Amino acid sequence: MPATEYQGSFLGRISIRRNQVVSMDGNHEQELEDLEIFQKNISDRFSDLLSDDSSSSSSSSEPFLSIAWVRKLLDVYLCCEAEFKAVLIMGRDPSLISKPPLDRVLPELLDRSVKALDICNAVMHGVDSVRQCQKLAEIAVAALEQRPLGEGQARRAKKALAGLMTALGIDDKDSGSHKSTERAWSFGRRGGCGGGSAAKDRGLGQFRAPSWGVPKNWSAAKQIQSMSSNLVAPRGADSTGLAMPVYIMSIVTVFVMWALMAAIPCQERSGLASHFQVPRQLGWAQAMMSLHEKIGEEWKKKEKKGSGSFVGLLEEMQRMEKVGHSLMDFADGFQYPGEAERLEEAAAQAAELAETCRRMEEGLVPLQQQIREVFHRIVRSRTEVLDVLDQAGKPSAPSV
Amino acid sequence: MDKAPPEKSSSFAHKDREAWEESNPSAAPPDSPAAVEAKVEGDGTPSVNNVDKIEEEKEEKEEGKEAEESVEANPPEDATPKGDDDAPHSFDKILEDIDNFLSYLAVETETNTSLEVHELSIHRFLDLVQEKVSNYIADVEEGKSRWGQHPDDDSSILQAVARVSKLNASLDGSKWGESSGLLINRVGRIHQQAMALLEDEFRALLEDCKPVNVDNNGDENKDTKQEGDDHVEDGDKSLDYPQDAVSHLNKIAKEMISGGYETECCQVFILMRRNTIDELLSKIGFDGISMDDVQKMHWESLQREITKWVETLKQSVGVYFPSELKLIESVFTGCPDTSAYLFCNLTRSIMIQMLNFAESIAISKRSPEKLFKFLDMYEALRDMDPIINGLFGEDKGHEFVKSELVTARSRLGEATVSIFCDLENSIRSDTAKNVVPGGAIHPLTRYIMNYLELTCEYKDTLEQVFRDHLKIERADSNNRAEFQGDNSAQYQDPNEAEKSQFSLQIAKVMDLLDSYLEKKAKLYKDISLSSIFMMNNGRYILQKVKGSPQINELMGDQWRRKKSSDLRQCHKNYQRETWNKVLGCLRDDHGLTVNGKVMKPELKERFKNFNAMFDEIHKTQSSWVVCDEQLQSELRVSISAVVIPAYRSFLGRFAQTLTPGRQSEKYIKYQSDDLETLIDELFDGNPAMTGKRK
Repeated sequence: MPATEYQGSFLGRISIRRNQVVSMDGNHEQELEDLEIFQKNISDRFSDLLSDDSSSSSSSSEPFLSIAWVRKLLDVYLCCEAEFKAVLIMGRDPSLISKPPLDRVLPELLDRSVKALDICNAVMHGVDSVRQCQKLAEIAVAALEQRPLGEGQARRAKKALAGLMTALGIDDKDSGSHKSTERAWSFGRRGGCGGGSAAKDRGLGQFRAPSWGVPKNWSAAKQIQSMSSNLVAPRGADSTGLAMPVYIMSIVTVFVMWALMAAIPCQERSGLASHFQVPRQLGWAQAMMSLHEKIGEEWKKKEKKGSGSFVGLLEEMQRMEKVGHSLMDFADGFQYPGEAERLEEAAAQAAELAETCRRMEEGLVPLQQQIREVFHRIVRSRTEVLDVLDQAGKPSAPSV
Repeated sequence: MDKAPPEKSSSFAHKDREAWEESNPSAAPPDSPAAVEAKVEGDGTPSVNNVDKIEEEKEEKEEGKEAEESVEANPPEDATPKGDDDAPHSFDKILEDIDNFLSYLAVETETNTSLEVHELSIHRFLDLVQEKVSNYIADVEEGKSRWGQHPDDDSSILQAVARVSKLNASLDGSKWGESSGLLINRVGRIHQQAMALLEDEFRALLEDCKPVNVDNNGDENKDTKQEGDDHVEDGDKSLDYPQDAVSHLNKIAKEMISGGYETECCQVFILMRRNTIDELLSKIGFDGISMDDVQKMHWESLQREITKWVETLKQSVGVYFPSELKLIESVFTGCPDTSAYLFCNLTRSIMIQMLNFAESIAISKRSPEKLFKFLDMYEALRDMDPIINGLFGEDKGHEFVKSELVTARSRLGEATVSIFCDLENSIRSDTAKNVVPGGAIHPLTRYIMNYLELTCEYKDTLEQVFRDHLKIERADSNNRAEFQGDNSAQYQDPNEAEKSQFSLQIAKVMDLLDSYLEKKAKLYKDISLSSIFMMNNGRYILQKVKGSPQINELMGDQWRRKKSSDLRQCHKNYQRETWNKVLGCLRDDHGLTVNGKVMKPELKERFKNFNAMFDEIHKTQSSWVVCDEQLQSELRVSISAVVIPAYRSFLGRFAQTLTPGRQSEKYIKYQSDDLETLIDELFDGNPAMTGKRK
C-alpha cells in the first residue's frame, strides 16, 4: 500500500539512529535525513581510515595498508553494509522495492555482490600465501637470532629468505623467469626433481598455491572492472530516492574489494590501479577517493618498479620485502664471526622481521575469519534482498 | 701449509693441527668434497679468513680420512674415487667417541671446561659427516643415488646427522668462549648442510610418494557409485602409501625436527602434499568454478558439476583426508600438535573451496527442479559430518572448518525450504482464467503430485531440513523480528513445532492445490463438468497418495476418508446436475396421465424432450475426459443404473400408447440397449465432439 506516488518515499522509514520501525506513512523529510546520516557515516568511517595514516608518526597501531588497517577496513564495510540494509529493507513494504529504478539497480547490486564473493575467496587464499611468507620469515628470524651467529645459521636464513623473495615475487638470480607475481605463485608444480644444482637450492618460496579458490582463468582485475562497469550515479529525483543508497553501497563494495585485492596477493591484478574510479564531487566519497588515490599511487609505484611483479601492498609484506632483501645480502656474505657493526645492523633488522612475523601471527587468522564474515554477510544480505524482491513479485503480496 | 691466523686459532687447535699434519703430510686432492664445499661457500670474495678455512678444512679432511683408513679393515662397499672408505668399524668408533663426548656434555654443567681435549675427535667426526654429505650430494647430482636406494648409507647419514644435531644443540657458543668459536661455527655449518640435504631428500621422497592403490580405488568407487546409496563408511578404501617411503619420511622428519628444522620440514611437507592431493582431486574432475560463473551456468551443466562435486566431497573427506591423516601421523610420529597443524593446513583450503561451491549453488536462482540436487548436496555434507568430526579433533583451526560446514549445509537447507515456498507461490500466483478442456486432470495437479512423490523419496532428509530450519528460525527470530518486522513469522507457529515440519509442508501444498482446483472448477460454466473436473483431479490425487507409501503415511487415514467422501459428493452432484432433468421426462406425473388416462401430446413431448436431452448430453459428455478407467466405468455404471431402468419402465408403460409404425418410430428413438451403448461412449474425450464444450 504505497502511501504516496512520490519516489522519494522509498527512503528509509527506519532511522538508523533510532533503529526502530516508524509508521508506514513516514515522511519524506525523515527519509532524506536517513540518507544524509547514512552518507555521513560512510564519510566519517572512511575519513577515519584515512586519518589513521597521517597520525602514523605517533606510532599508530594501524599503519596504512597493514593487516590491522585492512581489518579495520573490513569492519567499516560490515558497518556500512548493516546500515545499508536498514535503509533499504527494514520495515519497508516490499512492493516499493520492485518499482523503477530499484527493479534495475537492485539486481545489479546482487550481481556485484556475487562477484565480491569471488574476490573474498581469492583473497582468503591470498592470506594463506601471506602465511606461507610468514613461516619462511620465521625460519630466517629464528636462525638470525642465534648468538653467536654461525655460518650455518646464516645459510639457513639465506635459504629461507631466498624462498621468501621468490614467494614475494622478487626475481632473484635463480628464478629470473617469473615475469609476474602470479606466475611466481603458481610456479613449481613439479619441482623438477632429479637433481641439478638448481634443484638443490630450490627454496620453500616456490610453493604453488594449488588454487586460488577461483578457477585458473579468473582475473581479479576483470572482476573489478565488471563490478564497476555499470555503476552510474542516480540522477534527478532518483538521487534522493532509494537508488542512492544502493549506488553508495555499490561504490563502497567495489572500493573495499579493490583495496583488499591491492593489499593481499590475488590472482591476476595487472593494471589494477586504473580499473575503478571513485566518483568525484560527492561529499560522502571524498575520503574514499583520497584512499583510492593513495592506494592507486602506491600500486603504480610498485608496478613500475617491479614491472608488475609483486605480491601486494600489505604493509607487513612490504616490510618483509625490504628487510628480507637486506638480510639476505647480509646472510649471503656472512663469514664467521662477522663484523660487529654488520651484526648489530642485522640483529635490528631481524628484530623488525620478527615483529612483522608477530603481527602476522596475531592478525592473519582474525583477518581470514573476517574475510569469511564479510563473505557470509554478503550471502545473507543477498538472500534477504532476494526474499524482499520475491515478496514484491507476488501478485497478492499481503500488505505489511 | 698451516696458515691459520695466529690470533684466532687457539693454541690447542693449532697444536692439534700440527700433530695431524706431521702424521699425514699428503695434500688434499683438488676435488675433495671439502674443497668443493669451501669454494662454494667462499662466494667469490675470498678473505684471508676464508682461505684459511679452506685450507683448514682440507687438512682436517685429510687427517680424518687418514685416521679412518688406519683403522680400516674391510674393503669399502662404496668405492668412490674420493676415498671415503668409512668402514663400519671406524665409523662406529667415531660415533662412539662423539657419543661419549655428548654424554659428557650432558653431565658436565661447568661452563669453564674447555673443548680442547675433544677437538680432535669432533673434527674427525665432522670430517666424516661432511664427506658423507658431500658424497651424497654428488651422487644425487650425478643421478646415481637417491634416498632409499642404499639403506646403509642412509642410516649412517642419519646416525651421523643425529650426532651433529646434538652437538649443535649442546655447543652453546656462549658457554665455551672465543676459543671454540671456529669449531662451533663449523658444527653449525655442517649441521645446516646436513639439514638441507635431508630437506631435499624429504622433498624428493614426497614428490614420489603417490598412493599405491589410487587407480583401483577410483574405479572401485565409480562402480559402487552407480549402484547408488554408498555412504562413505568403507574404512578399507583408504589409500596406502608405500611402506618404505613412509618409513624413510618418518626417519628424516624425526631428524629434521630434532635438529630444530621443524618449520622447514613442515613447509616442504605442506607444499608437496598439497600438490599431490590436488592432482588426486583433479582426477575426479571437479574444478573450482567461480561463484559468479555458477550463477550464469545452465542448469544442465551445473547438474553435472554437482554430481562431480558430491563425488569429490565423498572421495576427499571419505578417502583422501583419512589417508592423509594416516600418512601425517606415520611420518610425524610422536608430534600430535604438528600433525594436527599439518592436517588442518592441508585440508582446510580444500574444504573451504568445496563449501564455496555449495554456497554458490545455494544462492543460485531457485527453481523446483533443483530441489533434488540441492538435497543430494545436503545429504553429502550431512554424511560427511561424522567423518569430519572423527578426523578433526578439538583443534581450534578445525572449529573453523566445522562451523563452515554447518553453515553451508544450513544454507542449502534454507534454499530447500525456499523452494517449497516458491512451489506454494507458484500455485497461489496462477490466476489464469483458462480451463482444461473436458474437465481432465489439470497439468498442475500432475506436476505437483509427481513432484511431491519424488520429494518423498527424500523424506528423511527433508524432515531434517525442515526441523533444522525451524530451529534456526527460532534462534534467529529475535534478531529477525527486530530487524525485519514480522516478515518471517510464517515459520514460527510454536504449535506446529512438535509435528513433522515436512508433513505440515506437504499438507500445506496439498491444501493449496485443493483450493486451487476448486477455484479452477468454478471457471467451468457447466456445473456437471465442474464436478467431473473435481472428480478427475481428486481421483488422481488420491491414487497418487495411495501409490506412494511415504505420502500416504504423511497424509494419514483421516485425510484419505475425507478425500473419498468429497469424491462421492462430486459424483452425486454430477448425477443430480446432469441426469435429474432427464429422469424428469420419464416420470409419470400429473401432466402425463390425467385420471388414469395418458395425455398423448404430453407423452410425445416427453419422448421428444428425452431424446433431445439425451442426445445433447451424449454429444457433450462424450467429449469430456475421464482418464481413470475405474472412475470412468463407475460413472457409466451409475448413470446406466438410474437412467436405463427408468427408461425401460417408461417405455414398457407408455410405448403401446403410441401408434406402432410411423409414430412410435418417430418418438421412440432408442431402445434401452441403445442407451447403454451410448452411455458407454461418455467421457471418452472423443475428439470429434470437442469444441462443443459448454
